[in-house]
Amino acid sequence: MVILSILILNKAGGLIYQRDFNEGLKKLSSNDYLVLAGTFHGVHAITSRISPVPGSGGLEVLESDQFRMQCFQTLTGTKFLVFAEPHQPNIDVVCRRVYELYADYVMKNPFYQIEMPIRCESFDRHLMAYIKPKQ
Amino acid sequence: MSSTKAARIGEEVWKTRIDKVNAELVTLTYGSIVAQLCKDYEGDYMEVNKQLDKMGYNIGLRLIEDFLAKTNTGRCINFRDTAETISKIGFKVFLNITPTVTNWATDNKQFSLVFEENPLADFVELPDDGRAQNELWYSNILCGVLRGALEMVQMQVDAHFTSDVLRGNETTEMRVSLIRIIDDELPPGDD
Amino acid sequence: MSNLHNPASPFVPFSPNPAIQSGVASPTTPLSISQKTPQLGSSNLRYASSRKSIYDRHLNRTQRSELSKASFAFLFGEMIQYAQKQVSGIQDLEKKLNIQGYSIGQRLLELLLHREGRSAKRETRVLGILQFVAQTVYRHLFGKPADGLEKSRDNEDEYMLIDNDPAVNSYISVPREMSQLNCAAFVAGIIEAVLDGSLFPSRVTAHSVPTEQYPMKTVFLIKFDESVLERESVMPNN
Repeated sequence: MVILSILILNKAGGLIYQRDFNEGLKKLSSNDYLVLAGTFHGVHAITSRISPVPGSGGLEVLESDQFRMQCFQTLTGTKFLVFAEPHQPNIDVVCRRVYELYADYVMKNPFYQIEMPIRCESFDRHLMAYIKPKQ
Repeated sequence: MSSTKAARIGEEVWKTRIDKVNAELVTLTYGSIVAQLCKDYEGDYMEVNKQLDKMGYNIGLRLIEDFLAKTNTGRCINFRDTAETISKIGFKVFLNITPTVTNWATDNKQFSLVFEENPLADFVELPDDGRAQNELWYSNILCGVLRGALEMVQMQVDAHFTSDVLRGNETTEMRVSLIRIIDDELPPGDD
Repeated sequence: MSNLHNPASPFVPFSPNPAIQSGVASPTTPLSISQKTPQLGSSNLRYASSRKSIYDRHLNRTQRSELSKASFAFLFGEMIQYAQKQVSGIQDLEKKLNIQGYSIGQRLLELLLHREGRSAKRETRVLGILQFVAQTVYRHLFGKPADGLEKSRDNEDEYMLIDNDPAVNSYISVPREMSQLNCAAFVAGIIEAVLDGSLFPSRVTAHSVPTEQYPMKTVFLIKFDESVLERESVMPNN
């Protein structure tokens, strides 16, 4: 499984974490990442409104020739965006595990301020340890 | 979710997915926090209650993510469902207890949690100063935790203790009331 | 050691008996067997009639109980944030955490010695008490012994207790601007109280010594009071 990149968006659509794990996606400027996050947040909201199915959860998967993006939104409104190579199955398992790591190493870190950008060394380390062996 | 299903999930998660530590470390740590507050606020127990509730609220905002990540619980269909989930899954996985859900108000917006056991208060006796037993809610942090955690899943609640065996009452009981569903903050697509 | 029994000594060993703590010998009053409820001094506390008081419940009841590590982490996190609001520097923060741990260590020592029952022995030697901390105390709190115990090469009065991955720090990432901080100062406080309470007065501090393999590795530096080394030097070698 090749994971290209992981983004985390707070409830308001602000980008609080971005990390590349492999080549394959174009590097953006930090400002562009913020715009990307905000745009996705808006598109996600719109897709949930225009869905013909009542109670739809909004855009979940975006697929192109180069990558597959999966969005996992928690009940609190936090979004995890996982970019992987196309046709990767079981990305949702990765999403859930990343959520657990977030609950452990971000939420339980007293020095992390809620809704703010994530700068937690332990989170980086454990995320890397989880993603790397998969490559 | 039925009460029995919630209980089964709670047991399962507690057994298989929860990292554990010695219970006395948790009990002593909480005791140390309360004792420090009592010292810092010079026995102003009302203020201590407030601080404990505030700390609990901060915890709740964070703990909800841990709860959701570990238990994989979906959105509750109503407040009764919420009550069962709090008791049988929430309290189970964090404190290994399942307080009884009881005393429902007729509008289904208020219930009580009755605690048979409370690991936070194990081996605790309140100060014998003639005031603590009337003023201090020793486990008040739990009220804040519920308030904070539920707020993150769009439920504004009030939670407070109405009795405590540490005060000489026959039971330890917390009253939880739903104030409103925070509609405007529902994550898009989840309504 | 003799001055411990001198009533003029300001040093009073910790004891749960208030009469001993205040340094006043209490006349022993025979307990009436017919008494059903404990009459503790002049207590005005109310007790639930349908429940056992804490004096009636078994002290070993929770010895092997477990709670979630998350619950500890959240409480410890609040303790840290609360302390942080009251201090200006990292040293002060560590001191606050040490004090909070200290009050736990005092209670824990009594509890552990009580539980050792008849096999409990009073440690009189430095190595003995350090083993007690590294084995008994550590096992009880963290479910495993400490990872190492070393004597300082430079200072006669210093020992190092090593924990490769302190459970209290599992989820904590210290911000770069506070890199000197180690929140295991809380555990240092527990250790310090156990040593003080065992009449090995000392100062214990926690220091981060990250390695590739153990990024959270912590060394507890134990600096014994002069009096401990003096006593040790006159003890027979056996």
